[in-house]
Amino acid sequence: MNIEIIKMAFEALLGNKLRAALSMLGIIIGVTTVIAVFAVGQGAQNAVNAQFQNLSANSIIIMGMFGRGATQSSKLTTADARAIMEKAEHVKSAAGSIMGNLSASYGSESGSYSVIGADANYFSISNLKLGSGRFFEEADVDSKAMAAVIGSDVVAALFPDGGNPVGSTITVGGKRLEVIGTIEEVGSNIGRMSPDEAIIVPDTTAQKSLLGDRGQVMINAQSDTVDNITIATEEITAILRAEHKLKVGAEDDFRIMDAGSMIGAAQSAATLMTVLLTAIAAITLLVSGIGIMNVMFVTVAERTKEIGIAKAIGGKRADILGQFLLESVAMSMIGGLIGIILGHGIIYLVNQVESLSSIITLAPSVLGVSIGFGFSVLVGVTFGFYPALKASRLDPVDALRSE
Amino acid sequence: MENTEIKLEAVHKSYYLANGEEIPVLKGIDLEIKKGEFVAIMGESGGGKTTLLNIIGCLHPLSEGKYFLEGENIGEVRDDFTLAFIRNKKMGFIFQQFNLFSRLTALKNIALPAIYAGIDKDEREARAMALLKSVGMEDRAHHKPTELSGGQQQRVAIARALINDPEIILADEPTGALDSKSGLAIMDIFSGFKKENKTVAMVTHTAEVAKYADRIIYLRDGKVIDNDYKLTSAY
Repeated sequence: MNIEIIKMAFEALLGNKLRAALSMLGIIIGVTTVIAVFAVGQGAQNAVNAQFQNLSANSIIIMGMFGRGATQSSKLTTADARAIMEKAEHVKSAAGSIMGNLSASYGSESGSYSVIGADANYFSISNLKLGSGRFFEEADVDSKAMAAVIGSDVVAALFPDGGNPVGSTITVGGKRLEVIGTIEEVGSNIGRMSPDEAIIVPDTTAQKSLLGDRGQVMINAQSDTVDNITIATEEITAILRAEHKLKVGAEDDFRIMDAGSMIGAAQSAATLMTVLLTAIAAITLLVSGIGIMNVMFVTVAERTKEIGIAKAIGGKRADILGQFLLESVAMSMIGGLIGIILGHGIIYLVNQVESLSSIITLAPSVLGVSIGFGFSVLVGVTFGFYPALKASRLDPVDALRSE
Repeated sequence: MENTEIKLEAVHKSYYLANGEEIPVLKGIDLEIKKGEFVAIMGESGGGKTTLLNIIGCLHPLSEGKYFLEGENIGEVRDDFTLAFIRNKKMGFIFQQFNLFSRLTALKNIALPAIYAGIDKDEREARAMALLKSVGMEDRAHHKPTELSGGQQQRVAIARALINDPEIILADEPTGALDSKSGLAIMDIFSGFKKENKTVAMVTHTAEVAKYADRIIYLRDGKVIDNDYKLTSAY
């Protein structure tokens, strides 16, 4: 392939800028979609990973039942965590937490926040850092102390004038709690909940005075080894059935999941989404390919005479095939590059929208760029090939005769 | 025999309509053109002049018969690579309508066959420039065809036909689209081919043009009716 023929292909494209731009549009949209789709997929994957980053492979999560009959049978309590800890042989640790939404107020400021009832070790497990005051301790849990540790957003909302909230008394779900500490701003989520928007209290307090049956109880347990996770799961199930006095044959009134299958399910959901969106992008690219083919047929028809001349002065079929193929590949390649730039622009813009960034942060992926670009070149070659082949096979005399 | 550049034996050429009907155009052509000879092909419209030239130029496959180029029968060659090579290196085509690429400058038009021949940029541009000079067009090197007159375009086209230094020049009504003054200038260039020992086959229906040739072949209804046609006293 001669460099001069490449130059001629580009010159031909530049000679028909509008048409080239229009036929590139499909590729641009297709590749932009691919880039955006992969960024959404990667973002979802990252969100899944972040959600479970505190889980190790030997984690077991036990949750109360939701939905039908939930209030009657969801007997799971944070006390169950202590029972598991005592009785299960293959469980290394078990910590219960209870979660719900309650309104909180201080003075004239109020808002709805996540209330988390937790063990004293919750802060270290969740990697939370103390802003001011102190975290609660075992003694507070045992005494069901009316004490709260609040997140940075809660501080900002309830104490808009600044100053240290430690020592103040806030009202949460109608109960008066003393703020004993604040958490340094985290910025990211733990699970579906942001610690910045949370009021954290001893689990005993939450169970007894604040959330009661309305709270969603979750127990985080860990088996002693990864290999024992199945045995540990069976032990926990047996212990909880005994604690809840379930008859033989009665269904569990709790749900138990191990980390591996949970992460797997969430990841396959994210993957499925990526696959579906990629299929849409692939269809877009296919359609854009047909557009390119159309334009190339028109181009070949228009330049039939040129093809005849080229053959008469010694152009080989391969030269002519190469030139037209290059034109379509150049078109789809430039379209692909523009699509990549545009796609990243969209990623940047979407990530600037704050209401979206709490749900998902789009992450550009190398895979998206390579697939987007690869596909655009493939489209150019595939759909440019037939028109180019037709051009190369034109009878020189017929071609010369056309006007 | 070794003096023969082109030899056709009983060459037939037919076209086929979409319904399969055969339209014979050449019905058994025998002719011989010697190296360095300047031959004009004359005849009535529809007599097969252009088809004959296209067959000599390897643009058309022949339906039947033999085509010897420098003693080698190439009538049955269908391989694109070989045919393109012959058109590129052995022959230079000159058309009535010049057939230059409108997007390219005069210089690049001339250089194009050298690109196909794989000659590097410096060499082919030097050759193209020298040829432009030889046809008196060096000051128009960077003009596009639309900025040139018909006569100038045809001179560029002639330069293009010469870039790979072919032995054979094929011309189809080279003066047909030109006024008589420009036409004469073109024929002056054709007269110069003799010195370079180039074989020329030129289709024309104009006696004024044909008289530049060493010999005239006259076609009628797909056959050669005279291998050495003499222009009558009318001219």
